[in-house]
Amino acid sequence: MHPKPHRGTIFLEDAEVLMQERFPGEQYVLRMRAPQCAASALPGSFIHVTCDATLPMRRPMSIMRVSNKDGWVECLYKVVGEGSRMLASRQRGDIVSSLGPIGQPFVLHPERPRLLLIGGGVGIPPMIFLADVLRHDARVQWNPLVLMGSEVPFPFKTRPSTILLPGMPDGVIGCMPLMEDWNIPSRLASQQDFPGCYSGFVTDLARHWLQPLDKNALAEVEVFACGPTPMLKAVAYLAQKLGVPSQVSLEEFMACAVGGCAGCTVEVRTENGPAMKRVCVDGPVFDGASVFPLS
Amino acid sequence: MTEHTLPDSLKTTFCGLEFSSPLVLLSGCAGFGEEYTRVAGFSNRDVGAVCLKGTTLKARLGNKPHRIFETPAGMLNAIGLQNPGVDHVVKHILPALDFSETRFIANVSGSTLEEYVEVTRRFDDSPIDAIEINISCPNVREGGVAFGNSPEMSARVVAACRKVTQKPLITKLSPNQTDIAENARRCLEAGSDAFAAINTLTGMAIDVETRKPVIGNMQGGLSGPAIKPMALLKVLQVYQVARSHQVPIIGQGGITTARDALEFLVAGASAVGVGTALFYDPLVCRKINAGIADFLARQRIQRVGDLVGTLDTDTLPLTLCAAG
Ligand SMILES: Cc1cc2nc3c(=O)[nH]c(=O)nc-3n(C[C@H](O)[C@H](O)[C@H](O)COP(=O)(O)OP(=O)(O)OC[C@H]3O[C@@H](n4cnc5c(N)ncnc54)[C@H](O)[C@@H]3O)c2cc1C
Ligand SMILES: Cc1cc2nc3c(=O)[nH]c(=O)nc-3n(C[C@H](O)[C@H](O)[C@H](O)COP(=O)(O)O)c2cc1C
Ligand code: FES
Repeated sequence: MHPKPHRGTIFLEDAEVLMQERFPGEQYVLRMRAPQCAASALPGSFIHVTCDATLPMRRPMSIMRVSNKDGWVECLYKVVGEGSRMLASRQRGDIVSSLGPIGQPFVLHPERPRLLLIGGGVGIPPMIFLADVLRHDARVQWNPLVLMGSEVPFPFKTRPSTILLPGMPDGVIGCMPLMEDWNIPSRLASQQDFPGCYSGFVTDLARHWLQPLDKNALAEVEVFACGPTPMLKAVAYLAQKLGVPSQVSLEEFMACAVGGCAGCTVEVRTENGPAMKRVCVDGPVFDGASVFPLS
Repeated sequence: MTEHTLPDSLKTTFCGLEFSSPLVLLSGCAGFGEEYTRVAGFSNRDVGAVCLKGTTLKARLGNKPHRIFETPAGMLNAIGLQNPGVDHVVKHILPALDFSETRFIANVSGSTLEEYVEVTRRFDDSPIDAIEINISCPNVREGGVAFGNSPEMSARVVAACRKVTQKPLITKLSPNQTDIAENARRCLEAGSDAFAAINTLTGMAIDVETRKPVIGNMQGGLSGPAIKPMALLKVLQVYQVARSHQVPIIGQGGITTARDALEFLVAGASAVGVGTALFYDPLVCRKINAGIADFLARQRIQRVGDLVGTLDTDTLPLTLCAAG
């Protein structure tokens, strides 16, 4: 009999909404009870949720944080259309159907402990999850830096960092308080001239930090990113130019989210030529150079 | 949760194959048979059969994104028959399937008549339980629906495939044609053992901001509850041709609830397919099974087969082709 380790790894749960908090820019943080999902989710995992019974399809959302002890998962999303708008109207006590955790997570390599985590817009959630896992990992002394970019106000109150970061441009001192509490350095970027933020793309801020590093330092670096496609492309290109590996979390329209329909594929370069991989179960995390090759 | 005791009333036979339930997972919606088992609580034992993804002679990469899009009460898809090719399916995928759980049906596609025949021949030499010829895929330029919309071509494909296999041969009919009954009649004469009706209806969606089609392939196939009334009528039309030859039908198109499934059974389908409904509720088959079993018990019907084709048309003038 063939081994079937994939079986029973994704859970369908009637998830009670525990909290729904609104932030400027029509962004929401949604916490719901989904204990089976919380127990096995990893950074990069997502859930496929129902927004409203009138919509025939579910919507994919990255997992931002989980509490295994309290059995909840948390997402951050932005209202962009009908589904997300309906999800935003869910209130405490409402039930949302959650299917998850789904997908291949980010993979850590102990020989590369200097991690650059880049989150753009509503691509921030998996980076927060990853940072949370890193700080609890006793096996390896990880050394992460979190860079976030947003063109709407950040879904948290920014404040000046108390963690010094060599290589950052002058005045780029704004940070995410949660990261600071976790003793993880973070910096922010935006083209909207938010105070303390780097004025420009988050990928340019990443370049500021990466470019001065020498060969030995770069040999310890790996880049992790989630956000809009142009940002991921820029990240993958930057990493390839510097000879650093990158992992990017992609988005595509989804129907089943369990690998059954091949509706969510992206073209990936493999040893045997181009292949179409499913974002839901082969991803959403892919090797940056395979999806955005330089040449 | 691990116990799978479906009530005896749901047992049925289809082309001589024992089905534990009249439910069939539809081609293209459940990958190559293992995908949905990722979901805890899902079991292939909950369905009578699983139709595998459309398979061609050589591997196909499929269409560019976007391949799917939500529409009112349904969705469009244009996957473009992405598959690893028949040899890979036979050598690497079929051996990993657990044939004790359910029946597995191959879904054959091609751009030429010769390709249909060759893929069928290779599946004939495999443990697959039955072969479905998909002459109704709307998402490829050659073959597919281009064959399926012509009764003449449909019959030629069926006759040619018939010659190379003894396994049950199911012809999957397109709704995108003038006279589905005529097509069914021709395929029946050509040696089809069963029918699947219906495949998706062609449609499209436009992003008005960019004025581009949303679907990478421009047009796609519409599925889901939106197509159910059309599918139901087409099944009835096919049944009127197939009934006297005892040729069974897998009715499909938008089935989401037990009531939907019952409607198709009454219209003449011996088995009922579930595709798009899985995407919203991966455990929907259990609910549909339970609903059908409840109905049978309430109506004191012993076997689901006894319900098939029991539409009461005595009082109706049957003018099935004309509307208005
Ligand atoms: C793995 C994954 C993780 C995601 N994580 C997040 C997250 O953490 N926060 C967040 O705000 N958004 C996230 N998204 C994007 C989110 O799924 C879409 O914004 C959402 O589906 C839009 O639905 P809508 O009905 O509001 O918008 P509409 O534009 O009206 O949607 C129409 C249809 O297109 C689909 N669609 C539109 N945009 C996207 C998109 N970018 N990705 C996938 N499907 C899309 C919808 O699902 C729907 O079927 C993620 C997407 C993926 C694939
Ligand atoms: C994403 C998707 C992929 C499909 N791929 C195939 C296919 O490869 N071969 C085929 O015969 N039908 C294919 N179909 C059609 C279905 O098998 C089914 O006939 C149709 O969707 C109607 O049923 P439903 O409304 O329950 O989904 C596909 C449908 C969908 C939604
Ligand atoms: S959404 Fe169906 S395969 Fe990914």
